[in-house]
Amino acid sequence: MHGLAETASTAAGYAFPNDLHIHWSLMIVLYPYITGIVAGAFIVSSLYHVFHIKALKPIARFSLVFALAFLACATLPLLNHLGHPERALSMMITPNPTSAMAGFGFIYSAYAIVLIMEILFIYRPTMVALKDMSTGFMQKLYNILTIGSDNVSSRALALDHKIISFLAGIGIPMACILHGYVGFIFGGVKANPLWASPLMPVIFLLSACVSGIAGIIVTYMIIMKAKGREVDLECIRTCIKYLWGFFILDFVLEMLEIFAHAYTATHHWHTLHALYSGPLYVSYVVLQVIIFSVIPFLLLTWMNLFRLGDTLVRLFAPLVSLMILFQVLLMRWNVVIGGQLMSKSEKGAVYFHPEWLEKEGIIPAIIIMVLPLVILFVLSKIFPFWQEDDPVAGKSTAG
Amino acid sequence: MKDIQAEISKDRRAFIKKVLGGTIAGSLFLVIPAGAMDIPEQIAGMLEEDGPFITKKKFAFIVDITRCIGCGSCCVADKNEYNVPDGNYRTWVERYVIDVDDNVYVDSPNGGLDGYQVPREDVVQDTIRDTFFVPKLCNMCEKPSCVQVCPVGATYQTDDGFVLIDEKRCVACSYCVQACPYSVRFINPVTKTADKCTWCYHRVRKGLLPACVEVCPVKARLFGDLNDRESEVYKILHQPHVISVLKPGMGNKPSLHYVGLRREVV
Amino acid sequence: MEPNYRSKYNTHVIRIVIILVVLAVVSLGVRAMIVPKDFGKYGHYRPGAIQDEMDREIRNGTNASCLPCHPYIKEMHFSGVHKTVSCEFCHGPVADHIKDDQVIAKLPKKQGQEIKTLCLRCHNQIIRARPKESIKMVAMPKHLEDKKVRLDHTCDQCHNVHAPLMWVKQAKAMMGVVEEENKQ
Repeated sequence: MHGLAETASTAAGYAFPNDLHIHWSLMIVLYPYITGIVAGAFIVSSLYHVFHIKALKPIARFSLVFALAFLACATLPLLNHLGHPERALSMMITPNPTSAMAGFGFIYSAYAIVLIMEILFIYRPTMVALKDMSTGFMQKLYNILTIGSDNVSSRALALDHKIISFLAGIGIPMACILHGYVGFIFGGVKANPLWASPLMPVIFLLSACVSGIAGIIVTYMIIMKAKGREVDLECIRTCIKYLWGFFILDFVLEMLEIFAHAYTATHHWHTLHALYSGPLYVSYVVLQVIIFSVIPFLLLTWMNLFRLGDTLVRLFAPLVSLMILFQVLLMRWNVVIGGQLMSKSEKGAVYFHPEWLEKEGIIPAIIIMVLPLVILFVLSKIFPFWQEDDPVAGKSTAG
Repeated sequence: MKDIQAEISKDRRAFIKKVLGGTIAGSLFLVIPAGAMDIPEQIAGMLEEDGPFITKKKFAFIVDITRCIGCGSCCVADKNEYNVPDGNYRTWVERYVIDVDDNVYVDSPNGGLDGYQVPREDVVQDTIRDTFFVPKLCNMCEKPSCVQVCPVGATYQTDDGFVLIDEKRCVACSYCVQACPYSVRFINPVTKTADKCTWCYHRVRKGLLPACVEVCPVKARLFGDLNDRESEVYKILHQPHVISVLKPGMGNKPSLHYVGLRREVV
Repeated sequence: MEPNYRSKYNTHVIRIVIILVVLAVVSLGVRAMIVPKDFGKYGHYRPGAIQDEMDREIRNGTNASCLPCHPYIKEMHFSGVHKTVSCEFCHGPVADHIKDDQVIAKLPKKQGQEIKTLCLRCHNQIIRARPKESIKMVAMPKHLEDKKVRLDHTCDQCHNVHAPLMWVKQAKAMMGVVEEENKQ
């Protein structure tokens, strides 16, 4: 908890005494960021498995494992934030049906099951082959992951294919729920004029898709570079196309929300206006909108309206993806933290300065964001990401 | 003096009962075993309520802004009653200063816990046309948004209208803190659970007034039973007073009423 | 011609379904064991929480809890203009003083400048607390200048804190000063 000195300072005007402390800080910024990347990565995979966008085949499996690596870490920021993490399971034991947050345990568990199932089914033929090729611990592991079955007959594979299509299909609405409910956690808080909006779940979901696609592009290109392999540029171009489409929707809705507030200028607009022109001016107007939304939007439009040469794609695809990854992080920051900067007194704002070494500080945030990449590396040893490393490449009917 | 001291130490309880029997005329004399203290009953009939909920009384809490002098006795009593950690406030008092140009200056140094020791330095004293104090506490809403959002059922509304917190189930997710339009909730750094004013539920159930109501020297805070037609709260709420609640547009239907609420107050 | 496999074509699917069902059943069983008794009886909360709240320690005793052991103060306090002031406001809650019928600690008595600070919480005219009909207010050090006393005086040197006008009235009676009613 912050000391008395920090609770005593306001940025401007009058803040209620209990508003001086920001309750949802870095950890709560990270949670929607991580689940957003999960949902977005899953959508990429589903574009291949459900909508049969063939160009995305090279990254279809990788996206799922990528999603799993991030999903595994999604609960960490929340557990770190809670005052009583040992009671966290209460949300699943006695969930309050009127609370959006109570949905977390069930939605997360259901989604994890669908994702893990899909990965196991897609990788099954590969793992059956790898089981025979490995020894010791790895062999035991593959035995478990293939659920003890070695049957890769055409009948089995046909059954698998049906199940995979089903899981990939059902995964899309589930990904929407996974991130939509997060948006509703904020959107349903009438006491906060920045958050209370029916557009909030939609905006969160679209920015999730955008962050997932961008995350996949960046990690795919980095891994290929590290392995010294060629990137599949048609795949990248397709990703950039979908990134553009989702980002148009995301950006338009984000701008629509603030424009509607400003235009109707109802009672709460004066506090929002003070927020956007004051404490949030740099992080929202300058950074999130002008630099990291408008510029990537123009870049993406250029990249999609004109067919760019390979060198330009190799340069701008990761660049625009990194910008968008940062934009989505900024959006989470500006919504979560920005919403708490205004006091409910409607007469003032407070400061927020995250510390490096506090419980919910910058170092823990960095650790939590790096951990999924570590897990991804570990998973790469179990689930070969790329077709070139797959012993049964081309033989399975699944991606 | 020495005789009395001897009497007291001999049999404290008996002595107190004797004294009280003589001094408190009329009302039922006590006996609220409150931490092994004996205190005269302030709300008659509460000890007969043996169910989980209060059934015979309908309590109302009124804050009279025209009477508050900003002394902060209420804040002191509240902090003492609940050992509220520094920097967190179950109740607080705000000061409003209005100058001749209709600029409104609001502050609440340490929630009014130390009273108001100095005038506002940023306002020229001669330009002030009005000042007043506004005590704030839990509005005990009829449709509490904090209860709506609690994921584990740790905050709840009893059948008698009190919104309380179950310290054994709260996980301190802070959702209720975000949802309260009046910022009366906080996360207690000692218990690591949500916390807020409870209108001194534990005192009321035993027949005592809330601590802040009890200590207010000018009767700016009033607590009473609306089923009692003679009570002050009944009379106030049934007169053509201008009574208001805070943020009525929020839809929470607060039960805390203000007499003399000013338009500058949010 | 497909090779012979040890497992059937759908073995893995059946095993997965079984695992999921077992997981669901075990979860429900565990939940039944750890959900608090009677949870949900009155609403979505643990009914025992109401009793927990009622069992809280009562720390402020009200003035009546002080008076039985401090009868002399009672006479002064309750006959003076400070009768609405809580003992515990200046001295602290009685729970810090008495526990299980024993005195566990002495409550603090304010001294010197602390008394002045305490008095000015209500009586400070400079912060323009309330119209003068509600409460007597003074500005310091103007009040001392008006009364022609030394400027380092604290309030309790002229005013008994429990009955602020007691000594003032006694002094005036001694000096033969006749006060008009309702003056000041």
